[in-house]
Amino acid sequence: MRLHKKFLIATVLFALAGAVPAQTGRSMHVDLKDTRLANGLRVITVEDHTTPVIAVAVTYNVGSRNEREGRTGFAHLFEHMMFQGSENVGKSEHFMLIQNNGGTMNGTTNEDRTNYFEALPSNQLELALYLESDRMRSLAVNQENLDNQRNVVQEERRIGLDNAPYGKSGEIQQALMYDNFAYKHDTIGSMADLNAASVADVQAFFKMYYAPNNAVLTVVGDFKTADALATIKKYFENIPRQPDPPAVDMTEPEQKAERRTSVDDMLARATRVSIAYKTVPGNTADFYALQVLANVLGGGGGFGGGGGGSSSRLNQKLLREKEMVTGINSNAQENRGVGGFYVTGTLRQSVKTEDVEAAVYEEIARLQKEPIADWELQKAKSGARRNFINGLQSSLARANSIGQYAVYYGDPNLINTRLDKVSAVTKEDVQRVANKYLVQTNRTVVITVPKGGGGRGGPQSGAMQPNVSQ
Amino acid sequence: MKNTANAKMKFLIAVMAIASFATTVCAQGTLAPQTGTMKGAVLKGRAPVNKQILRVKLPKAQEATLKNGLRVVVLENHRVPTFSMEMVVMSGGLSDPADMHGLAGVTAALLREGTAKHTSRELAEQLDTIGATVNANSGLSGFTTNITAAGLVENFDQVLDLFAEVIRTPKFPTDEVERYKSRTVSAQGQIRGQAAFLAQERLNQAIYGTHPASLVLPPAEGIKKIAPADLMRFHDENYVPNNAMLAIVGDVTLKEILPKLERAFGDWKSGAAPPTVIPAVPAQSAAKIYLINRPGSVQTVFQIGALGIERTDPDYAAMAVMNRILGGGGSSRLFLNIREDKSYAYSVGSNFSSSKYRGTFVASAPVRTDATEGALREFMNEFNRIRNEKVSANELDNAKRSIVGGFALSLENPGALLQNIITQKLYNMPANYWDTYPQKVEAITVDDVQRVAQKYIDLNHLQIVAVGDATKTRAVLAKFGTVEEYDAEGKPVRTASKTQ
Repeated sequence: MRLHKKFLIATVLFALAGAVPAQTGRSMHVDLKDTRLANGLRVITVEDHTTPVIAVAVTYNVGSRNEREGRTGFAHLFEHMMFQGSENVGKSEHFMLIQNNGGTMNGTTNEDRTNYFEALPSNQLELALYLESDRMRSLAVNQENLDNQRNVVQEERRIGLDNAPYGKSGEIQQALMYDNFAYKHDTIGSMADLNAASVADVQAFFKMYYAPNNAVLTVVGDFKTADALATIKKYFENIPRQPDPPAVDMTEPEQKAERRTSVDDMLARATRVSIAYKTVPGNTADFYALQVLANVLGGGGGFGGGGGGSSSRLNQKLLREKEMVTGINSNAQENRGVGGFYVTGTLRQSVKTEDVEAAVYEEIARLQKEPIADWELQKAKSGARRNFINGLQSSLARANSIGQYAVYYGDPNLINTRLDKVSAVTKEDVQRVANKYLVQTNRTVVITVPKGGGGRGGPQSGAMQPNVSQ
Repeated sequence: MKNTANAKMKFLIAVMAIASFATTVCAQGTLAPQTGTMKGAVLKGRAPVNKQILRVKLPKAQEATLKNGLRVVVLENHRVPTFSMEMVVMSGGLSDPADMHGLAGVTAALLREGTAKHTSRELAEQLDTIGATVNANSGLSGFTTNITAAGLVENFDQVLDLFAEVIRTPKFPTDEVERYKSRTVSAQGQIRGQAAFLAQERLNQAIYGTHPASLVLPPAEGIKKIAPADLMRFHDENYVPNNAMLAIVGDVTLKEILPKLERAFGDWKSGAAPPTVIPAVPAQSAAKIYLINRPGSVQTVFQIGALGIERTDPDYAAMAVMNRILGGGGSSRLFLNIREDKSYAYSVGSNFSSSKYRGTFVASAPVRTDATEGALREFMNEFNRIRNEKVSANELDNAKRSIVGGFALSLENPGALLQNIITQKLYNMPANYWDTYPQKVEAITVDDVQRVAQKYIDLNHLQIVAVGDATKTRAVLAKFGTVEEYDAEGKPVRTASKTQ
């Protein structure tokens, strides 16, 4: 991270003199260098010598939105295959080389992108670049490794969904609220589709999506930019470009009526209500207003580091005043396509779901009728600022954010401008998006009902709802 | 940023966080590229590894004492304009009355729910408006209460005022106390849906018996009994400056904040806090298998453990190295065997904890139900292997490089740096403890690893907890020893007989 000059000077003084007066409200800036290799690989470098650390992130422009019917879960299963070996790196050798040299690493997949990343002591930059380039160039797959990772991924699904209370409710909600297949399925995929994946599928997917022209390489940390770029060219520039993958149709038809279902859950102990509204793609004026709205209503909104939950309207009204729930929150999910605004509450015993829903809708109606208070707008903006600054603390977090902004919106510099976009949100914007998106015909409600197999004698909700699907 | 709950991760590991700053480079002997095939891995040895370990020097904390005796520790970190601070009160759950477990925890939880000056709602609004957070907690088996505050440095003064206010003048209003108790008891029922909770509850009881560390949740009867007067008494007796320490990290200097700290805490009156009695851990019972029946489960969640070490045990560094080799992360034996070779699990590993009394060594994994027998067999194989055979020179070297090399990354985590300093103070360790920790790690030998494996992976007293569908796992578990069965409420339901 190159910070503002003011800060750079302060940093140097600190290093020499050991002390510097704290500055107030200082602005932060990440100085990016944007380079395009001959094969189309976009390279973002951020030179920053404040800690002896380097972080490397490769963000591929592929996620579960690119999957076709019958192959759900494939993008993520493929991500696991990227750790199973390539021409010059053996199975699991990647894990071992990173960890055994004091680093940390992982790979993650969501609907809209897949990323691979590692942070290491700064003298291991070449190792990280070598490992990422080798698997971009020459992934090695075989049936044994695919079968092995298929099992591992199925365990991952069981942990998060099939063996967890409320685990399946999110998947069911996603399938019910979206019509376009891109977002209609969970990233983890179905067991049947995971079983159907073949080595040929892996090879075809690799050729189509894991090309340099479909990826962004972000390198942040303690290096000299010229040296790093030379090493990057040495390892990456001869990886052949591939034809661009087909564009994904992300159009989502307008929803005309409320959708609703209930889910019987053997593992849950309390009823849960989850209300979802379809919204807009991320990095739009409406999306930033929805983030502020989520923060005011239920403490979410993506400002994780900044709090906001205790004073939120849902927490004050439903949890504290009416004592209807043990927990409740709202969140505005950022997608490249149509996003979602979620309100989720877990009910106390003997509380009826329709009463909780009515109380939530009453709070939403208030946001539609009246502007939010000054302090509420301030709270969302403070939360956004704290979240932005917290995200600059580690090189790895910066690398992943930059890579994601580059792949999502073609704008790595969004790391610097995003906060201004939240700051531009007005009370009128918040009221407008509440009226535009949080309406009955646009919502999908999923009620999770505990079906007490595991709850012998345990607390049961008094709110057994009839199935009212449509 | 995307809802991270939707991001599917390669694997989850806890990275051991340690401290440092300023680098020197140190040659690590003659490290040849490692090649070969082992369970779950193929090493080609072609990637360019820098053979030197980047050594980093710990940033030094500054210390001061306020006029009333409150100890202050400040760690400057000017990378970003934020700060966090933590008041460590040297009394926690271990000070709870026997019939009122949770008193220290409820006291902490209610600090923010009303003070002499502000209501719960006002405090929440004021903190949230400036993007600041204040939290407090006290573990059931801990010897401290920890109150933390964090925010942007431009709001330092305002956060400090609210922080001091909740620590010094909580009112424990009756309606807030009742509301909190009722909500907590209600939420306790819900947590029983989680397999990992059920496993931990049983394992702690198996290892700790009647010791307070046997409790994962405070019993509801005790919680219901707590009255505002109990909270006020616990607070007034224990929340005194001569029984506390204030630690701060961030974009501040000691010189600049010291007068502010004097203003906020200087007239806080000392008192005679009852000293914490550290109860002895009980004698360990014979190895046993506990099966918790959780109908509807599609996995068996294993937690397998035994009594570990105290934090100041000279074996700490050897345990860290042994654990790294056996189950600490993606290059560990348990991970490579149970996940990468057998594919029984997504997440598998081991860990150890320590306190002023002996902590635990625990290996764990959720595995699909039909892999219950295979996974337990591999756990036992790995326990036996690390006890019976010396680890290889490469494994030992890799574990040490991993721990020592990891210090560089911890520089980007000021919170972890501060926790290390707090640990050093709480356990009265030498001031240079973290500076010399790398040398301690590097001095560990293959014999040390085997010695601590034999001592703490104590097969005669190993407690094996499995949470899953009993109808499908009862018989296979009985092949490994005596099985005691419980329901998901934690109640014994039957004892199956040992077969093999």
